[in-house]
Amino acid sequence: MNEQAVIRTRGLTRYFGAKPAVYDLNLEMPRGCVFAFLGRNGSGKTTTIRMLLGLLEPTRGEGTILGHDIRSLPPEIRARIGYLTEEHQLYGWMNVKECGEFQSQFYPRWNEKIFRGVIGHFGLKPAARVKDLSRGERAGLCLGLTLAPEPELLVLDDPAMGLDPVAHRSLIESMIYLTRRSDRTIFFSSHQLADVERVADYIAILDRSVLRVCCSLEMFRNSVQQVRLRFPGAPPPVPKIPGLLQAFRAEGELRLTCVQFGGATEQALRALAPTQMEMVPISLEDAFISYLGERGEKSFILSETEAQP
Amino acid sequence: MKTLILKELRENVKLALLGFGILTLMLALNAHSYSTDLKNLGAISDSQQEYLQKYLPWQPLVSSGFLTLTGFFCAIFGAVLGWFQIHNDRHRDLWAFLIHRPITRTGIFLGKTIAGLMLYVLATGLPLAGFVTWVLVPGHVAAPFEWAMLWPLAMLFLSGTLYYFAGMLTGLRQARWYASRALGLGVALFVSLTFKSEPHLWQALIFILIGGFILATAVWGGFHSHGFYRGQPAAGKPALTGALMPGCGLVLALATILLVESLLRNSDSYRWSDYQMTKDGIIYKVTHGTGDQSDIVDLAGQPLIDAKTGRMMGTADFNRRLCTRVQINPDFGDRAPRGRWFDRDCYRFTFWRATPDTLWYYWGRYGRLVAYDIGTRRFIGSLGPDGFAQNVSGDGNRFGDGRNNYAVASRRIINTTQAVYELDPDHHTVKSIFTITNAPNETIGGIGEVSLNGYDWDYTIVVTRDYIRLLTPDGNVVWRFAYKPNHPDYGQISVAFLDSRNQFALWLTPSGHTQEKTGWKLPMQVTWLDREQGVLRSTDLPVLSRNRREFGREQKLMSLSISPALMVMLPWFNAETRLKDIPWVLVRYSLAAALVCLPVGWWLGRRYHFTVGAQMGWTAFHLAFGIPGLLTFLSVQEWPARESCPNCKKLRVVDRELCEHCGAGFAPPEKTGIEIFAPLNVTDART
Repeated sequence: MNEQAVIRTRGLTRYFGAKPAVYDLNLEMPRGCVFAFLGRNGSGKTTTIRMLLGLLEPTRGEGTILGHDIRSLPPEIRARIGYLTEEHQLYGWMNVKECGEFQSQFYPRWNEKIFRGVIGHFGLKPAARVKDLSRGERAGLCLGLTLAPEPELLVLDDPAMGLDPVAHRSLIESMIYLTRRSDRTIFFSSHQLADVERVADYIAILDRSVLRVCCSLEMFRNSVQQVRLRFPGAPPPVPKIPGLLQAFRAEGELRLTCVQFGGATEQALRALAPTQMEMVPISLEDAFISYLGERGEKSFILSETEAQP
Repeated sequence: MKTLILKELRENVKLALLGFGILTLMLALNAHSYSTDLKNLGAISDSQQEYLQKYLPWQPLVSSGFLTLTGFFCAIFGAVLGWFQIHNDRHRDLWAFLIHRPITRTGIFLGKTIAGLMLYVLATGLPLAGFVTWVLVPGHVAAPFEWAMLWPLAMLFLSGTLYYFAGMLTGLRQARWYASRALGLGVALFVSLTFKSEPHLWQALIFILIGGFILATAVWGGFHSHGFYRGQPAAGKPALTGALMPGCGLVLALATILLVESLLRNSDSYRWSDYQMTKDGIIYKVTHGTGDQSDIVDLAGQPLIDAKTGRMMGTADFNRRLCTRVQINPDFGDRAPRGRWFDRDCYRFTFWRATPDTLWYYWGRYGRLVAYDIGTRRFIGSLGPDGFAQNVSGDGNRFGDGRNNYAVASRRIINTTQAVYELDPDHHTVKSIFTITNAPNETIGGIGEVSLNGYDWDYTIVVTRDYIRLLTPDGNVVWRFAYKPNHPDYGQISVAFLDSRNQFALWLTPSGHTQEKTGWKLPMQVTWLDREQGVLRSTDLPVLSRNRREFGREQKLMSLSISPALMVMLPWFNAETRLKDIPWVLVRYSLAAALVCLPVGWWLGRRYHFTVGAQMGWTAFHLAFGIPGLLTFLSVQEWPARESCPNCKKLRVVDRELCEHCGAGFAPPEKTGIEIFAPLNVTDART
C-alpha cells in the first residue's frame, strides 16, 4: 500500500435510489501527481469527487483524503484542499474583490498575489459583479479563489466545462503555471482529452459507475491498440475476443480496437482468415473515445439505396 | 464566523427590509385605525356599549387583531427568512462552496443562525418596539398600560424564531415537498397552538424553548449531514425525529378529523340535550342535533305541539317562547385562579363604559374604575368605593380583591366583598345600594344586573355564601333564597324571569368539578319563587350532560391517531393535574394502535437490518408515539435500496458491507477484459 497516497478509497459506493452511481471504487492516488478522472456524463465522476470531499455520504465503502476519513473531514484538512466546482457557482451579488475578501478570511495561507495574478490573467475587474461575469470569467474567478489559499491538493471538477477556447486556454495555463510544484497534487475530471494528454500523469476511467482504468497515461496509450483486418469479400462476424472495445466493419475490412492486444487475441483474429492483418497507429483521443464510447460492432457498409448520391 | 455573518446579513438584508417595511406599514395602519375609531366614538348609546366592549381595541397592544397580525407575521416572516437563508446556498455547487472551507459545520450553522436572528429582530422586533413606544407615549392611547401586557406580544415574537428554524429545516431536508419536507413546521405550529393555552407564562416559555431547541438541533444536524438523516451527529437524529413528529401528528389528526366528520357526522354522538324554560315556567328537554330542528319534549317525554298547527313546534317558535335567564358563577375567592396566562395578561383591565368624552375601564391591578379623556387620550382619574380620585389607586380602596380582572359585572353596578354599588360615570360618583349587615363572615361572590328589555335596569342578583338575593335597582329585596347547603357544589346559578312579573325560577346547577367527584349523579335543582308567596315548588332534574369520562366513537377513533405519550401528557399541561385526569380509556385505544405499529416497525427494522440498539430504540418510540411515531419513522429514515445477494440470493440492503443473511461481501464489478490497472507511483510517472 502506498503510504504517500493522498486519496485512497476502498469499495466506495454510492447509490441514488436503486441505481449505483459509483460502484466499488478502489483508488489510490500518490502525492505530487496530476490525476485525470475521466468518464462519460453520468458515469459517476462528480459523485466520486463529492464523496471524497465529504459533501455526499457514501452508501458503503470508505475513503481517506490527506489521511483523514472522508466522512468527517476537519476544517484544517479542508484548508489544505482546494475544490473547484463544475458549474463555477458563486454569490451573484458579490463583486470580484468581495469574493476574494470573503474567501481570504477563512484561509490563513491566503496568497493575495496569486489571486490577483489569476484574475488579472482572466482580465477580471475587481468591481465587476459575479452575476455579470461570463462563464469563462466566472471560471477564472473560481480558479483564483481555489488557488490563492495555496492548497496542497487541488480537486477540479471539469474545470473547463462550457468555456470558449480562449478561456479554456487561460484556465489550463493558469493551472499548469501555478500547480506544477512537486508537493502539489491535482485531481481533476475532464472531458477535454487534449488537456489530459497535456497535463496528466495518471488517468482513471469510470465506465458506467465502475472503475475500468487506473494507470499512467503512457501505459494507457500502450495498452489500447487498433488492428486492421482485410478480407476478399464481406468480413465475417467478429468472434468473442477478450479486451475488444470496438469493431468497425467496412467493405472488405474489419477494424478492431482492443485492450492488451496479445497472443490470445491475435490467435482468435487469425482464425478469421484475413488476407492481411496489421497494427494501425491510434491517437490518445481515439483510444479514449473507443474506451468511453459504446462498445460493440459498428458497420460502415452502406446499402445500395443509401450509397446513391 | 464574522465573515459568514456579514455575508448572510448582506445576502438577506433585502428580505429583512421588505419585512420591516410591511410590518411597519401594517402597524402604522393599526395605529391610524385606533385613532380613527376614537375620533369617531362621539355619543354612544347604551345599546352600543356592549358592541364597543367586544370589538374595539381599547389597548392596541393586547387587541386580538394586533396580536393575530403579529403572530401571523412573525411566523410567516420567520419561516420565509429561514427557508431563504438555506435556499440561497442550496444549489449543489454553491452548497459545496459554502461547506468546503476551513470552518466547522457548527460554525456555519451559528454564522447563519446569528445573522438570521439579527435580521429577524430587525424586521419584526424594531417595528414592534416602535409600536410599543408609540403606545407608551402619553396622549396616544386612552387606556391603561402594564408592562405585563407585553408578555403576549413577546411570546408571539419569540415563537416566530421557531418558524425561522422550521423554515431552515424545510430548506435543508432532503425530502419531497409533497411528503415530509415541510413537516418541521409542525413543531412550530404545535407550540403556537399550545403555548397560549398554558395556565402559566413560564410553561409557555418552556414550551417555546423546548420547541426551539429541538428545531435548532435538527437544523444543526442537517448542516452536518447536508439535510439527510444518515450522517447526522448523535444529537441530530433524535432532534430531527422530534422535529418531524408533531408535523406527522398534525397531518394524521387532520386526516382523522376529516374521516370522522364524514363517517360519523350523523351519529348520536353529535346530539346533546339541555333543559329550557318557557315564559310560563314550564321546563322542556331540548335535544339538539346537526340540523336546524331540535327535538322538544316536556319532562314526561311528550313532544311539544304547536296549538295553531297541531304539529311539533319548530325551534324558532319555541325560542320565542323562552324566558330570560341570567346566569352567575359566584367566586368567593376559594377557587384557584384558572384560565390561560395569555388571557390574563391581555385582560389586565376591561372596558367598562364610554361616555361622550370619557372612556372608563375596570383595572384589576388597582380594583378601581379608571377614566381616560377621549380628546386628549390622557388619564383623568379613578373611581373606587370611596368615590373619585385624581390618581389611579385612590387611597387604596378597591372594588375587586385583585385576583381577577372581571369584577365588573354589568354596566351600572359593581361590588366589593361586602357591598354592591351603583356607579354614575357622568358625575364621577358611587352609591351603595346593598351592604351585608350582621354577618361579618359573609362575602359577596357574584352579582348580576338584569335587564329584561336589554336597556333598562330591572333587578340585581346578589350571591353570598348564605343567600341568593334578588334586589330591585334601589336595593330592596324581592326575594331571598338559602344557598348555604348547596354551596359550593352547585357552582352555577341562574334566575329565570317568567311572564308574571312576580314569578321567578331559580336554577342551581352542579359544577363539572363536583359532578366528576360525585360520578355525575347530582341533579339540577329548580325552584319556582313568587315575590309574595316565597317558594312555590321545586323539582330535581336528572343529569343530562355527558360524563366527561365517557367517550364517543369519534373520540375513540381520534385517539387511535394520537400518540399514547401525548395522551398521557396532555392533562399535565393544565394547572391542576391529577393522574385521574388522564383519559385512560382513550390511552388504551391509542396504545392498541401503537401495538399494531410495533410489528410493522420491527419488521422494517429487520428488513433494513438495524442494529439491536436502533431496533430497541425505535420499538420504544413506536410504543410511546403510536401511529404518528410510525409515520415519523417512515419519513425520517432514508430507506436504502435492496438487491439480490449473489451468494444466498436473498434481498440485502446496499448500505452494508456484508450480506445480513449470509455474511458475504458484495461482488466486485464484473471483469469485461478491458481493465487496465497498474500500481501508481509518482516517481515513475514523472520520469
